[in-house]
Amino acid sequence: MTAETLHNIKLLAPEVCLTFFLCFLFVVDGLFPKTRTNKFSMITTVVACIAGILLTCKVGKTPEAYFGGLVVNDGFTKFFRYFFFFTAAVSSYVAFGSKEIETRSRMEFSLLLLCTTIGMSIMAAASNLLVLYMGIEMVSIISFVMAGFKRDNLKSNEASFKYLVFGGVASGFMIYGFSLMYGLTGSLNYPQMAAYLTAAQGNFGLVFWLALVLIYGGLAYKISAFPMHFWAPDVYEGAPTPIATFFSVGPKAAGFAALLRMLLTVFAVKTAEGNWQMINGISLTHVIAVISALTMVVGNLSAIGQTNVKRILAYSSIAHVGYMLMGLVTLDRSGLTAILFYLIAYCAMNLGAFWVVGVVANLRGREDLDAFRGLGWSMPVLGICMGIFIFSLTGIPMFSGFIGKFLIFGSIIKSGGYLWLVLLGVMNSVVSLYYYIKILKSMWLDRPESPESLKLSTYHAVGLVGLAIPTVVLGLYFTPILEFAERTLSNLL
Amino acid sequence: MFPILSVMTYIPLLGMIVILALPRNNPNLVRWVAVVATALPLALGVYLYMHFDRTTASMQFVEQFDWIKPFNIQYYMGIDGLSIPMVLLTVLLSFLCIIASWGIENGVKGYYAMFLFLETGMMGVFCALDFFLFFLFWEIMLLPMYFLIGIWGGKEKVYAAIKFFLYTLFGSVLMLLVMVGMYYYSEPHTFNLLQLAQGHQFVGKTIALFGYSLPLDKLFWIGLFIGFAIKVPVWPFHTWLPWAHVEAPTAVSVILAGVLLKMGTYGILRMNYPILPEATLWASNFMMILGVINILYGAFCAMAQKDLKKLVAYSSVSHMGYVIVGMASFTTAGVNGAVLQMFNHGTSTAMLFLLVGIIYDRVHHRWIVKPDGSKGFGGIASVVPVYTGVMAIALFASLGLPGLSGFISEALVFLGAFSNPKFQTYVVIGSLGILLGAAYLLWMFMRVFLGPLNEEHKDLKDMNWRETFTLIPLCVLVIVLGVYPMPVLNLMGSTLAKLLTLFS
Repeated sequence: MTAETLHNIKLLAPEVCLTFFLCFLFVVDGLFPKTRTNKFSMITTVVACIAGILLTCKVGKTPEAYFGGLVVNDGFTKFFRYFFFFTAAVSSYVAFGSKEIETRSRMEFSLLLLCTTIGMSIMAAASNLLVLYMGIEMVSIISFVMAGFKRDNLKSNEASFKYLVFGGVASGFMIYGFSLMYGLTGSLNYPQMAAYLTAAQGNFGLVFWLALVLIYGGLAYKISAFPMHFWAPDVYEGAPTPIATFFSVGPKAAGFAALLRMLLTVFAVKTAEGNWQMINGISLTHVIAVISALTMVVGNLSAIGQTNVKRILAYSSIAHVGYMLMGLVTLDRSGLTAILFYLIAYCAMNLGAFWVVGVVANLRGREDLDAFRGLGWSMPVLGICMGIFIFSLTGIPMFSGFIGKFLIFGSIIKSGGYLWLVLLGVMNSVVSLYYYIKILKSMWLDRPESPESLKLSTYHAVGLVGLAIPTVVLGLYFTPILEFAERTLSNLL
Repeated sequence: MFPILSVMTYIPLLGMIVILALPRNNPNLVRWVAVVATALPLALGVYLYMHFDRTTASMQFVEQFDWIKPFNIQYYMGIDGLSIPMVLLTVLLSFLCIIASWGIENGVKGYYAMFLFLETGMMGVFCALDFFLFFLFWEIMLLPMYFLIGIWGGKEKVYAAIKFFLYTLFGSVLMLLVMVGMYYYSEPHTFNLLQLAQGHQFVGKTIALFGYSLPLDKLFWIGLFIGFAIKVPVWPFHTWLPWAHVEAPTAVSVILAGVLLKMGTYGILRMNYPILPEATLWASNFMMILGVINILYGAFCAMAQKDLKKLVAYSSVSHMGYVIVGMASFTTAGVNGAVLQMFNHGTSTAMLFLLVGIIYDRVHHRWIVKPDGSKGFGGIASVVPVYTGVMAIALFASLGLPGLSGFISEALVFLGAFSNPKFQTYVVIGSLGILLGAAYLLWMFMRVFLGPLNEEHKDLKDMNWRETFTLIPLCVLVIVLGVYPMPVLNLMGSTLAKLLTLFS
């Protein structure tokens, strides 16, 4: 083994570490059947994620490409590693407190979760179309299995199958797009592709645009953006709630990571001031603006009529993708920083909101608005936390969601154009209040039919409060996270 | 220096946290904690009143330090002659409302916690001098308000609460856009309201929308104005008001009408006027017309009401019209009258809502004329003389009887507006509102209190000590300021004089 290989493996340490824990769990599963049902695998997952986070802090201070340029280790990679490992740890914690994940399949769940996390991490680090495809498939295929985790439940099976069919088509699109792009540029590596596109000076021919549309199709499916968003509500509704919790944050952010990296390194070049500029002949800003507008409008309007809270949140998560895409329109530092900040805010508040739904689903066995009736009064901590998450999702000040929107809208206003998009964005957040508030109305304004004594277990209370605190704190003081996001961007290779 | 404004703002918040930690089974303890948490700001408010320098137009009791560096956002609190009457009104009404809410029986903890949170928001709005901070307080007020109306309100509370929330949020997102726009189009980028007001920064700049280039300052003005007009509420944005005011519990109606409505006009005077003076002049006719419409429309609607509380609610629409008219006149008398009217309407309408609440607690309806056409009340003056007396004071103050507070502010408003030759026609039309006001209020008084006694209510009890206690301070203010308005006029004189130099 040469020194270079060793160095490369060292840079991949967080993923290697997770893989090690994954293998370890496999072995333990075989040797000690008892660990299949107790909380051992959860603890191992959380430990693995913490180890991953620590290793991410340690290795590779300077941005560099390794393994022959297949993957890169830069601020961006690190940012998303932190993000994914945190999400995975929380999801694991959520799942083990839920009755929807049967005790006998706890070990399976942990194995699948760890495996997806590695896949997401690879997606964020990939600087090569094939590696990216590998990462995406790793996440997708395991997601199909996870969506169908309740094997004897019809809806869960339906969700899994829908996810599979939709995902299969989308990745078919994408790989076709990749191959066209390879044929055109002669390379799968991002920097070489960018070099070819720069040299072509806008003479790409139809095939380039076809490839672009196909690739977008695949990525839009991952982030559930218009027009590939249809799967999200059905899959979230059918999948066990803890898994929907994970889906709504983890794979979505991974899709964003891939999208951002590809857009910024293949189709755009860094300018001297640290902003980005589309390569000559590729002007996508109008297209992105329209996609973002359609995504948020479709998400918000579809959410209005829903009565199932999981579906409401699913559509709302589509709308949030629309808001985040707004940050891409200007392609400058402030917009991209805003996206990263938004992802962080979204992570805490959306995990929290889905978690509350999971708790209610456990309690009542269903998750429509009626199931929430009066729960604020019988479980105040749950009610207050849900209030914080919902208001944050709406974008009310004092909560992190507002700061996210403030930064996103700010970046567009700063650019001086696309005023219509900002107007549409703020109107959308007014519309979103209408359906978000229905959940709080059910929890607080409606009294329970009969007084019941319910208690939120400490296990859930700790976790929910743990997510509510950053949601409030980031709404009131966000300088450190903002600077962190800025550093992440300036480190993008 | 002692950060008195912050202390006044956050004592209620602290009170809220204490209340949330208290046990559920001792409502009286919760109530007393709330009393303390509002009495302290009231005491500090008295201190502010004593030590406020009336000769200067600059900010006083200033607290300023960096909060979010990358965006140059500051924690900047301070008051001038425009904010101090509102601050005093806020602390006074909050304290009285806590006492007036003694009768709330279910969800006591939640109710008082939300109420104290609301006071923090209101105080913050009137003290914040950084746009970002202002916006933060402006919006967090919505949360307790939604729950206060939605949980403790009347029959249609859910609809009223969501309507209030949606309307105000619609206004605030426009304000958010203007806020961000002002930040990026000012040089250097700032949220500081005083710095934004310097140098007419937004005049002559344009912004593109669908290929049209629009004048920036007028766009900003419209955005802000809609945001504030919804709160005032200016016709045609008023439709949330009758719902929210009628469905809210008594004390919340008092706060809504007494303080929250003033935030709209306060915001216009604090932002539109000094930051965008050119656009304000450009829009003055428009404001004047809206003001007159408000006066007349509110009055006519009030006259048609069969529900006592709805009548008072619509009378607020009419009375806030005077404020708009006074503001749009750009004369010393007019603007002073407008701010004084903001204060006076706060006290008189608070009395009216409290009084309506008292009778509702007794008989559980407030029909002047019942839906079936029979009389709701009638002749109760002979059964509840004290109540009738206080009602008469509130009512006459509200309709502008000389010797009571409403007269002075309304007279100033019309004097000021009439002395501006541009607006004389409007004033003539608008002053009809006084006549209409007298008509609907006196007609109500006649139908409810005078005439033969309705036998249903012959056992009506007069006000108890607690109810009397909440009304005495307001009564005193209404009478004293009617005879001698200088204590309030002195507070705001220099600030408003300086504001008006922008328009001469």
